[in-house]
Amino acid sequence: MASLGGSSSSSTEYIVRVPKNTSKKYSIMAFNSGDKVNCSSWTQARMERDMSNRRMYGVEETEEGAAGSEFGKKQREEARRKKFGIVTREFKVEDQPWILKVNGKAGKRFKGTKKGGITENASYYIFTQCPDGAFEAFPVNGWYNFVPQAKHRTLTAEEAEEEWGRRNKVVNHFSIMLQRRLREQERGPDDDDEEGEKGGKKKKKKGGRGGDLRIHDLEDDLELSSDESDSSGGEDGDSKPKKKEGDVKGKVKKKKKKKRGSDSEANEDSDDGDFEGLEVDYMSDESSSEEEVGEEKAKSNKEAVPKGIDEASESEEESEEEKQNEEEGKEEEEEEEGKKTPVQTKKKRDSSGESDTSEDSDIDGEAASALFMKKRTPPKRGGGRGSGGSSRTGSRPGTPSIDSASTSNTLRAAASKLEQGKRQVVGGSSESPAAKRLKMESSSTAVTTQSPAPSGKSTPQPPSGKSTPSSSDVQLTEEAVRRYLIRKPMTTKDLLKKFQTKRTGLSSEQTVNVLAQILKRLNPERKNVNDKMHFYLTE
Amino acid sequence: NLIKGSAAMSEKTEVDLTGVKQNTGVWLVKVPKYLAQQWAKASGKGEIGKLKIVKKQGKADVSFTLNEDLTSLSALGEKAASVRAPRDHPFTMHSVGGQTLAVFTETSADKISLEGMVVQRAECRPAVNENYMKLKKLQIEVSTKPQRLTEQMDRAVTNNFKPVSNHVANVEYEKKKRAEGRMVRADRQQVMDMLFSAFEKHQYYNIKDLVEVTKQPVTYLKEILREIGVYNTKGTHKSTWELKPEYRHYQGGEEEIKGD
Repeated sequence: MASLGGSSSSSTEYIVRVPKNTSKKYSIMAFNSGDKVNCSSWTQARMERDMSNRRMYGVEETEEGAAGSEFGKKQREEARRKKFGIVTREFKVEDQPWILKVNGKAGKRFKGTKKGGITENASYYIFTQCPDGAFEAFPVNGWYNFVPQAKHRTLTAEEAEEEWGRRNKVVNHFSIMLQRRLREQERGPDDDDEEGEKGGKKKKKKGGRGGDLRIHDLEDDLELSSDESDSSGGEDGDSKPKKKEGDVKGKVKKKKKKKRGSDSEANEDSDDGDFEGLEVDYMSDESSSEEEVGEEKAKSNKEAVPKGIDEASESEEESEEEKQNEEEGKEEEEEEEGKKTPVQTKKKRDSSGESDTSEDSDIDGEAASALFMKKRTPPKRGGGRGSGGSSRTGSRPGTPSIDSASTSNTLRAAASKLEQGKRQVVGGSSESPAAKRLKMESSSTAVTTQSPAPSGKSTPQPPSGKSTPSSSDVQLTEEAVRRYLIRKPMTTKDLLKKFQTKRTGLSSEQTVNVLAQILKRLNPERKNVNDKMHFYLTE
Repeated sequence: NLIKGSAAMSEKTEVDLTGVKQNTGVWLVKVPKYLAQQWAKASGKGEIGKLKIVKKQGKADVSFTLNEDLTSLSALGEKAASVRAPRDHPFTMHSVGGQTLAVFTETSADKISLEGMVVQRAECRPAVNENYMKLKKLQIEVSTKPQRLTEQMDRAVTNNFKPVSNHVANVEYEKKKRAEGRMVRADRQQVMDMLFSAFEKHQYYNIKDLVEVTKQPVTYLKEILREIGVYNTKGTHKSTWELKPEYRHYQGGEEEIKGD
């Protein structure tokens, strides 16, 4: 080592040696600076080759030993591979990645992949200084890039894509992994208890990915028309049975995020997320509403609903729903345990016993539909309600059955009448929608407030007189027939059309019979117009 | 039944951490190929040259000078005689920057130890001079030479494709066959024993393979096989013979002596 003095510089020379007989192979262990790896802080480290890529000969194919194996199979397979030119890369141990485990089981894990081509055009040497001052240079044999391995669970690609699609809806990201774990548990050992427990605990939190429920996305048609009255967010699904309002199958919420409680994952209240809380119809096959054809019709009837009615009935809604839910709770549980029914509307009147009005509105159409936008339950429920009225879920105090005796009577009567097959409504006379609405409201309030009688707008009793069990609007009465025939001559067909079975609640046979009787009584005059027999009356 | 590598993973080697604990610092130097080749030729103690570090007002100039005796180039062929490897190599220093580099070593006994951390990176560059240019030219000439060469020949090669009455391989084959002779029918029971022991090793056999194993004429063998075995026409084991179920005793690899 020679030192040369200089004014402002000092230079030193060192001998460089390249040791010849070194048995040690030098390699580089490269970490990304971002990982903040400090090797000197390691207390313990273990390293081994990652042999997971090794494919042993003959093990790829099923190994069976003597049984099932063929004589000379190996050779034949090899010859076959050669024939097809399948070249399997040789498994070189030196090229395999390293697995580095730092600080034991609980510490960090790294995977070191060999970087190729470092010795191709230039050589790397490690210069270390020896105690005697000289430098020793060792050639670098391999370069391995070490990356930390995630210990926490990650989503697979499919799951990640799913979550990506829901990113705007989901705020609670912790639940994502939670659900995944739950699902894995389901798939894995079927430990019912464990699952049920966890399910129960977590169901409130987790967003429903119920197995047998299909949730259709309403993002496309988010006009909050009445059609979409029923929408339970996908999240609701599984939490249903556990909910307090367990029977909130008809989250009759349009766009309103009222019962957000059911949403297990908090939805953002962003502007563009107005529709996010939309509760979606469950397209499950076993919806009870399918049984009710009428409901479909009613649903279709629900066209543009005057907003006013909405708002007006809004305030009632919640309480109504609550109440209704309770009332229907029993039936619903009976019928739809675990099922989500796309209950579009609930019949408000059910609880109030104003079966007629509600039914009427149903059947009538627009005006009525406004009222029943979301407050419908199938008549079956009504029936069940009637019968089970007394045994209603008592979670809510003051359910109608318990309070007002009078109303309960009427309720029961109404309910039983309801049960008569089709949309038979205990006949009220035709009333204007407004009146009906008032009636309903009053009746609902009646029920909630336990007032003995609804404000006397109407009674639920069918008006005496024509005893035909028909809807208030369309009754197959002599009076009605007379009116028609006075107005203009009509054929029997026309008359029948006037008294549609759906509206009158009669079967076609009944209609025919009744109509025939009426005609006999009236004895209208006959006229032939266009080769068709017309009846008419002159007053 | 894929025996994946996990089962065959080597034992974990404890890494010797003394190097990093002592905060040993090393340099990582990138060296040109020709220079590395010269270094490999070092003799004796392995001295290859001298490293000169000049510290000037905070900055350090590092340069390496190759020993004279290592400047003769032989790697590039005879033409290299006129050219010598350059001697002066200034080092370009770099910071370690975006990577944390550690150095570990493996011994032949599979012992791994962490030698230290890289504190300085450098590139060894030859001093650009006439000599170096000549060297480079030589290298380029060598590398641009095509690997395959087409030569025109004066006379055609006549060692092959000559007609032969009987090919060498054929002749040998026939000789071998004559030596073996025709297959003789052995005792029935003996043959059966042979078959049973064969089927102990494998479940399915081709008739040809069985002939080879038992050295029996085909018809005779087939007779016996029909007695104790069954022929598979369909399935994965296409046209193979296997023992009749009552004779089989396969148990997941365990073999038992199959009896009559």
